[in-house]
Amino acid sequence: MSKILLVEDNEMNRDMLSRRLVRKGYEVAMAVDGREGIEMARTGEYDLILMDMSLPEVDGWEATRQLRAAPETESVPIIALTAHAMAGDREKALEAGCDDYDTKPIELDRLLSKMETLLSK
Amino acid sequence: MTLNSPKLTPEQIAELRHDLRTPINHIVGYAEMLLEDIPDSDHADRRVALEETLVVARGALNLINARLATGSADARIASGELSELYEELREPQKKIVNAVAPLLASTAASEEELVGDLRRILTAAEKLVPGEGGGAEAGSEEADKTVTEDTGDDSESGPARVLVVDDVEANRDLLSRRLEREGHVVECAENGQSALRTIRERSFDLVLLDVMMPEIDGYEVLGQLKDDPTTRDIPVIMISALDDMESVVRCIEAGAEDYLPKPFDPVLLRARINASLEKKRLRDHEIEYLRQVSRVTEAASAVEARKYQPGSLADVSARGDELGKLARVFDGMIVEVEARERRLRDQVSDLRSEIEAARGASRSAEEPGVDFASLSPGERFADRYEVIDAIGGGGMGMVYRARDLELDEEIAIKTLRPEMVSDAALVDRFKTEIRLARKISHRNVVRTHDFGESSGVYYLTMEYVEGITVRELIDSRGQLGVSSTLAIGSQLAESMEVAHEQGVIHRDIKPQNLLLDADGVLKVMDFGVARLAERTTSLTEAGLIVGTPAYMSPEQLLSESTEASSDLYSAGVLLYECLTGKLPFEAESTISLIGRVLNIEPSPPVEINADIPDALSALILELLAKKPEERLASAKELRERLSQIG
Repeated sequence: MSKILLVEDNEMNRDMLSRRLVRKGYEVAMAVDGREGIEMARTGEYDLILMDMSLPEVDGWEATRQLRAAPETESVPIIALTAHAMAGDREKALEAGCDDYDTKPIELDRLLSKMETLLSK
Repeated sequence: MTLNSPKLTPEQIAELRHDLRTPINHIVGYAEMLLEDIPDSDHADRRVALEETLVVARGALNLINARLATGSADARIASGELSELYEELREPQKKIVNAVAPLLASTAASEEELVGDLRRILTAAEKLVPGEGGGAEAGSEEADKTVTEDTGDDSESGPARVLVVDDVEANRDLLSRRLEREGHVVECAENGQSALRTIRERSFDLVLLDVMMPEIDGYEVLGQLKDDPTTRDIPVIMISALDDMESVVRCIEAGAEDYLPKPFDPVLLRARINASLEKKRLRDHEIEYLRQVSRVTEAASAVEARKYQPGSLADVSARGDELGKLARVFDGMIVEVEARERRLRDQVSDLRSEIEAARGASRSAEEPGVDFASLSPGERFADRYEVIDAIGGGGMGMVYRARDLELDEEIAIKTLRPEMVSDAALVDRFKTEIRLARKISHRNVVRTHDFGESSGVYYLTMEYVEGITVRELIDSRGQLGVSSTLAIGSQLAESMEVAHEQGVIHRDIKPQNLLLDADGVLKVMDFGVARLAERTTSLTEAGLIVGTPAYMSPEQLLSESTEASSDLYSAGVLLYECLTGKLPFEAESTISLIGRVLNIEPSPPVEINADIPDALSALILELLAKKPEERLASAKELRERLSQIG
């Protein structure tokens, strides 16, 4: 069973996505901001991180950079989730070290296929 | 509400798109999840409602994506188009609510997860169109209601006038519509300059001010509002996406009432706005209260300046509180005092008419002088005074009118009989009394200037009053009218009140000692010094009474101690005589007079002159009581009783 860390500050998003992932058979842990996300990622062993980019405290971009810089988390795949969908966000996410990128609202099937691609690597 | 339609920047559009897509995201997500849970064979109604929700939500998402497309340089839309988008979103919002709300209503509470998720869909639908809940805010509506009840009880304050200042059209739109739904009257300004102009032109109860604006930012606008006394008291709530402590502190320090971070939580927004409005209302009350307090103190100054118009505190008097009561009592007192003053003026005017009439008569009533140290007209006296003429004489000595060459003004000189100052002890006592008498400074008391000696002649100098004595007036008129008598009586009472407070008793109140000037102002002569004349002779020793026994109280006639009440008795005799032309006790000899004064009750004045009010007649009899303790308590009481009669 894959362990997923969901870093998301919006409670409803967190609730919905986590429940849907659990139904699909994933084990899901949640962090509410970037700082908590980094700490949890360092101490727990996660197979994949879903990272919202607009987060309080430490935002998703910065959290990703820090995770990539730390040896214990440098290789955990990260999927960036953004709602802004500004032109260039995708490049920016990949540049920060994300492995993939998806926009909100989440289309679960699309997200699941991206997750599975990364998890099967 | 929109004044013009500025273009939104791509960043603003992206943000807006995010805000709009987030609730859709929630609706889609929960609806999909719930659909996954429903077994194919069961709950057809649920499936239909949720599928409908999903279709509508996806349609709305496409609409948002199309209207708020990003990624190209012309990704700019105008505010008018934004309003259109909101309008277009209202339809799907309504459809979602109509699909989900009945489902929620028909779901048993035991299905906790389903109930919770349906509620989440409704909450998300509410957020879809800013400020438009479509009746779905089951949970938040209750919270809203609580807030309204807490702060909104004083709906007497009516709708508030609110100015929304934000350079972003969407924010203005969102805020103004939400506030209008709350019943407030809302205006918008799209920049700091326009905000300042609008606030100075019209009054507002609250300003919602965005911090980050081009040109003049929110801090600057806030600073200008707080610097201007006319706008200082308008509460300002700062709004900003910056939620760092530093900017909050900066706003509060600059005088902002509160701080609201974006995005707005509707419940919090309403609570803070209502709290600010309530504070403003209380502050307005306080300002109005202080204004009315200053109205009352201004009225007090106006009274002093004799410019107060009775009734001009009517609006303050209308208040139901203590201040209103104060204003009512104050106004009532002034009306009463003015009425009394008017009566007094009328009395004095009657008195003046009588004085005028008396002046026409000869001055034959003047007492013949006792010529012991006669001064001649033109004679220089005491190296300072030039005698003009002799104006009277009495128990103490002769009175002359003279010119004070030092000060170049007319004064009166009273020379004293040698026996009154026959030894050093008597002279000292005289000086003591003069010192006391000089303390009395009152318009109804003849001022004593000085005491001196020149070539063996002791003398007093006093204020010279051009006028006639009450003696002359009575002799000329026979008797005086009630009004004139009250004018004399109240002025006499006032002078005695002041003198008695200083510990000075006259002891020889009689018509000869009361001067009236041409304006009807009464001047009492010889305060304090009359007793010296009394001491130099004694009834028992010489069978002679200085002054006129007819005005003396029983205790004075018996050479007992005389107090302030003795003056009150004399005033009673004087008033009796003014009104009736007669003395209360008349006798052929001093001895028989004393017998009557001590043993017989006087006839009530009203029996002699039916025009005399009963109250005045009774008051005079009280003054004439044999025992001092049975008379009025004080000259003050006499003055008050007289004013009640007038």
